Amino acid sequence: MREIVTIQVGGFANFIGSHFWNFQDELLGLASDPEGDSVFKNQCLNMDVLYRSGETHQGVLTYSPRLVSVDFQEAYKFYQLGPYLRSLGSISSRGTLYNEASSVPSDVVTWKGSVSTQASEPHKKNLFLQSLYEEEQENLTHKRNGFQREIEDKDIVECLDNGVQFWTDFSKVHYHPQSLYELSGLWMDVQEFDNYGIGRDAFSGSFQGEDICERLRFFVEECDHVQGFQFIVDDSGGFSAVAADFLENIADEYTNTPVLLYAARSPTSYMNLRSRKQTVFRHLHDSVSFSRLAPFCKLIVPVGLPSLSTSKASTFLRIEDEKAYHCSAVYAAAVHSASLPFRMEPVGPTADSFAVSGAVDVNGFVQMLAGQTRQNMVSILDVAMPAPPLTGIISMETQGEQSLLGSLQPLTPEVADKVEDFQAVESMIVHGALGSGGHHASVSAVKDSVNAVYEHATSRPMFCHLSVARCPLPIPLPFPSIFGNLVGQHGELLDSPISGSKLRGSLDVHSIPMAARLRSSNAILPFLQNRLGSLRKFGIERGALGAELLRSWRFEKDEIDDMGETLSKMVTALVPNDELSSDSD
Amino acid sequence: MSLRVLNPNAEVLNKSAALHMNINAAKGLQDVLKTNLGPKGTIKMLVGGAGDIKLTKDGNTLLKEMQIQNPTAIMIARTAVAQDDISGDGTTSTVIFIGELMKQSERYIDEGMHPRVLVDGFEIAKRATLQFLEKFKTPVVMGDEPDKEILKMVARTTVRTKLYESLADQLTDIVANAVLCIRKPEEAIDLFMVEIMHMRHKFDVDTRLVEGLVLDHGSRHPDMKRRAENCYILTCNVSLEYDKRTNNVVSTSEINAGFFYSNAEQREAMVAAERRQVDERVKKIIELKNKVCSDNDNFVVINQKGIDPPSLDLLARAGIIALRRAKRRNMERLVLACGGEAVNSVDDLTPDCLGWAGLVYEHVLGEEKYTFVEQVKNPHSCTILIKGPNDHTIAQIKDAGAGAFEVAARQYLVNEVKKTVQGRAQLGVEAFADALLVVPKTLAENAGLDTQDVIIALKAEHDRGNVVGLNQHSGDPFDPQMEGIFDNYSVKRQIINSGPVIASQLLLVDEVIRAGRNMRKPT
Repeated sequence: MREIVTIQVGGFANFIGSHFWNFQDELLGLASDPEGDSVFKNQCLNMDVLYRSGETHQGVLTYSPRLVSVDFQEAYKFYQLGPYLRSLGSISSRGTLYNEASSVPSDVVTWKGSVSTQASEPHKKNLFLQSLYEEEQENLTHKRNGFQREIEDKDIVECLDNGVQFWTDFSKVHYHPQSLYELSGLWMDVQEFDNYGIGRDAFSGSFQGEDICERLRFFVEECDHVQGFQFIVDDSGGFSAVAADFLENIADEYTNTPVLLYAARSPTSYMNLRSRKQTVFRHLHDSVSFSRLAPFCKLIVPVGLPSLSTSKASTFLRIEDEKAYHCSAVYAAAVHSASLPFRMEPVGPTADSFAVSGAVDVNGFVQMLAGQTRQNMVSILDVAMPAPPLTGIISMETQGEQSLLGSLQPLTPEVADKVEDFQAVESMIVHGALGSGGHHASVSAVKDSVNAVYEHATSRPMFCHLSVARCPLPIPLPFPSIFGNLVGQHGELLDSPISGSKLRGSLDVHSIPMAARLRSSNAILPFLQNRLGSLRKFGIERGALGAELLRSWRFEKDEIDDMGETLSKMVTALVPNDELSSDSD
Repeated sequence: MSLRVLNPNAEVLNKSAALHMNINAAKGLQDVLKTNLGPKGTIKMLVGGAGDIKLTKDGNTLLKEMQIQNPTAIMIARTAVAQDDISGDGTTSTVIFIGELMKQSERYIDEGMHPRVLVDGFEIAKRATLQFLEKFKTPVVMGDEPDKEILKMVARTTVRTKLYESLADQLTDIVANAVLCIRKPEEAIDLFMVEIMHMRHKFDVDTRLVEGLVLDHGSRHPDMKRRAENCYILTCNVSLEYDKRTNNVVSTSEINAGFFYSNAEQREAMVAAERRQVDERVKKIIELKNKVCSDNDNFVVINQKGIDPPSLDLLARAGIIALRRAKRRNMERLVLACGGEAVNSVDDLTPDCLGWAGLVYEHVLGEEKYTFVEQVKNPHSCTILIKGPNDHTIAQIKDAGAGAFEVAARQYLVNEVKKTVQGRAQLGVEAFADALLVVPKTLAENAGLDTQDVIIALKAEHDRGNVVGLNQHSGDPFDPQMEGIFDNYSVKRQIINSGPVIASQLLLVDEVIRAGRNMRKPT
C-alpha cells in the first residue's frame, strides 16, 4: 500500500477539499452499508491510501483523512472596527474526534488570580451540522431504535444551497486534530489577503511555517511508503505565497516524493477588476504566483474558469459562479476522479479485476504526463460531468456533446480550443460509466469503447493511459443542487427534461458516471504565454507599470528575471518548431 | 487634495481627526491588555464561536488571537509581537507603554503643543533612559560561572506573571537548569537547542526538565524493544526506503505502443536492484552495531528520512531500535545531547559517529508515542516536557515557559528598571516620564490598590535615594533586589527603544488616506 498525503491551502482549496472528503466519506459509508448497491461494495479502491487509522486516548479507534489543511484563523472579538470573518465557521479546529468529555473547564488550573472570560458569540450550527450532531448523540446513547429524524433531508439541502458561507458548513467528515491549521497574527480579513506579496510573511512569521511542516511530518512519519502529495492551493491571493514556501520546504525535506499540485481559484477571484491598476495588479499576481509554485512540484494543474456557469463543462449543470459551494463541487469531483488510479488495488500488471483497471501511482502518473521529451509539467484538467453513456460513446457519427471526447471540457482556464499536437500525452479516467439499459458497464466494455473512440478520433494524442473503475461518483447529502433537469437518478442523460423542479440535488441524483482527463498538450500555451507576457510587460520591461508593485512585494530584479526565465522555458518547450524559428526572426 | 482628484472615493481624515484616530486606537489596545499585566493581573479565557478554549495571560498570544482591523492598532500590535520575537517577553508592557505615551501626548496636544516638539522630547528622554539602563544593569556572569540564583530570579519574575506561584516556581527551576544545560562557554546561547514538548497527560505539576531528548514518535516495528539501556545512538539522514521513483517507469518505446503497459519482467528486475541497494545500506548499519555492541549494549538508529517495513524488519532482527522521520531540528539536538555526529551516508560509518545514552524508552498514549532519550553523557541540549490534563492548560504553560526561557537565556540583567522611572522626570519631557509610570500604576491597579497613594509612596522612597519597587500584596514600596525580583535588561531596552519610535511616528501623522480598501471591496 502506498500512502498519499493531501494538503489544502487557502479558502477555495479547502472548499474543494471539503467536497472531496465528503465523496470519500460517502464511498466508505456505501461500502459498509448492508443494503447498499453492489457497485459500491467491491470498489477495489483502497481507502487507506488517503486515510489513516488511529486511536484516541480513551482507546476509541478512528479513521480520518491523511490531511493538512491551512486556512485563516477564527478570531476573537475583543477589539475590532468592522465585521470579522472566520474561515472555520462553526466547527472547532481541533475536530470533534479527540475531544475530552467536558468542553468548558469549571476552574482554571494554572492561575490563582482572577479570570476574565471573553466569549465569541457561539456560531449557530446550520441544519446540516445540527443533524450530524444529533445523529452522533444518538449513536453515543445507543438508542437507535425508534429514532426519529427530526430534521428533514429536504430542509438540510435547501439550507445548504442558500446558506453555505464556510467550507466547514457542509463537511461531514471527522478530521484529525493535527489536520486543520489556522494561520494567526495576520490582522487582516480575507478580502485583503489577496496578493502574493501580502502572503510572503505569513509562512515564515512567528514560526508558523515550522508548525505547519511539523503537522505534515506527523502524517508522513506514520506512512510506510508515501507515493506522493496531493496538494490543492487557492492561488488567487496570499495563500499562493504560503503554499510556495510550504512547497519549497517539502521539496527540500521529501525530495523524492512527487507533488501533484492543483492550483485552483473560484470565479469570484476574477471579478471586481474595474480599473487599469487592478488589472495590472491581478496579472502580475497570476504570473508571479504561477512561476513561484511550478518549480517546487512535479506536475501542476491549473483549475478554475472565470465563468464556470457558462462554460461547456457545465452543459448539464446549473452553477452559480458566486457560490464557492457550487463551483468547488465540480472541481472536487474532477480531482476525485483523477485520484482514483492511485488507489486501485493492483492485481498484477496485465490482469484486470472486474471493478478497476489501469492502476498507476502518483509517480507513474506524473512521469507519464510531465516526464516526456518536452518535460511539460503543466497539465490541463478536462471533465465530463456526468459522463455520457457507453452507447453515446460508441456512436462515432455524433462528435457533438454526446460523445465522450466531445463531452470532456476543460476546467483549466486560458486553454486553446482546437490544437494539433502530435506529442500530446493523456491520462483518462472513466468511472461508473453506464452501459445499455442503464446498468453500470463492465470495465472491459468501457475499455473497448474508449479504445474504439480513439481509433476513430480525428486527432489522436501520441499516448493515452486509461484507468477505469465501475464505481460511480456518489452524491452525498451535503451537495449543492446543481444538476439540470436532463440528469437522471443515476446520472443518466435523459432525452426529455424531468418536469418539476429545474434544479436537482442530492435527493434526486444519487450517483453519476464521471470521466476526467489530464492532458499534457500545447493547448496550454495561451495560459503560459499570457503569464509570460504580463510579467514582461508589467514587471520586466523598462518603465513597466508594475515594477514598483513587485518591489513592494519584495522581489529583487534578478528574482523577477528568474521567474521570466522559468516561464519562457515552459513556453519554448511547447511551441511547435516551425513557429519557433519564425518567432526568433 | 490632489488625491481627491485622483480618486474621488478615497477617504481622507486630516490633522486632528487623524491624530485622534491614532491616539484612540492606541488607547483601545492598551485597555484590552492592561488588565493582564503583572502577577496580580487577570487571566483571559477565550471561548471561540465553536466552543474551543484558550487560556492566556501572555500579551503576545492574546494579540495574535485578536482580529484587529484598525491600521494604527495593527502597527502597534506588530511592534509588540516583534518585541516578543526578539526578547520573548514584554508584549503587554510595550502595548501599554505606547498607549500611555499617546495618552500623555493627547493632553499636551490639546493644550496646543505641536507634536514635533513632543517627539523631540521623546527622543531625548529615550536616550537618557537607555543610558541609565546601561548603568543599572547587573550582569549574570560573575567570573566563570553564571549565577544560577539571579538567573532563576529573572525567570521567576516573568513566569509568576503568567502562572500560579508553585507551578511558576517549578517552571523557574526547569528553565534556569535548561539555560545552564545548553550554555557553552564563549558561545552565544542557541535557543533552538531546547525542545519544548508537550504531552496531554496527568497534571501540570508533572512538568519537568529532561536532560536529553523527547521525540514525539516511536519505532514502527512490533519486535523492537520498548526500553533499552546503554544505547549507542546513530543519528543519520539516509533514505532506508526503496524508491521506485528513481526508475522511469514509462519509457519512450512503451509510449509508441499507443497505450501504456509496463514491461513486467523489466520492472521487477529494476525493483529488485533498487531493493538490494537499500538492503546494503541497512546491512552497513547492522555491521557497525555488531562491531561496537557487546552483550549489554543496545543500538538505536534515529533517521531523518524514511525507513520502510522491509528495512525495519532487518533492523529489528538485528536487535536495533529504529525511528524514522525525525524532526530536522532534533538531528542537531541529538548530537549535542548524546555526542557523535549526524551522518548523511552509510559509506563511512565509524564508531566515532555514534552518540550514547544511558536509557532510551518509549511511552505510549493512545496513538501518540514518545521516545525518551535520557541519561546522556554531556548534555548541551535538553527538553522541557510540559504535561497537563488538557490542551489549553498545556498551551498556556507552554506560552509562559517559552517566554521565560528566552528571557532567562539573555545574559544580562538589571535591577527593576521601572522603579527608576521617577528620576526621568527631571531628565526630559514630562510626557515620557509619566508614560513610564504606567507600568507601576497598572500593576497597582491590577492588584486592587489605590494608584495615587502608591505612586506618591514610591516617589517619596525614590527621592530618599533608594531603589524602590512595589509590593503588590501590601501596596508598600520595597527593595526589589531583596525580594528577588529582577527584570530582564534586553526586554526593557527593547520596550524603551521601540515604544517611542512608534508613538512618534503616529503623532506626526497629520493625514490619513484610506483608499485601497474601498477600491477593492465589491460595491
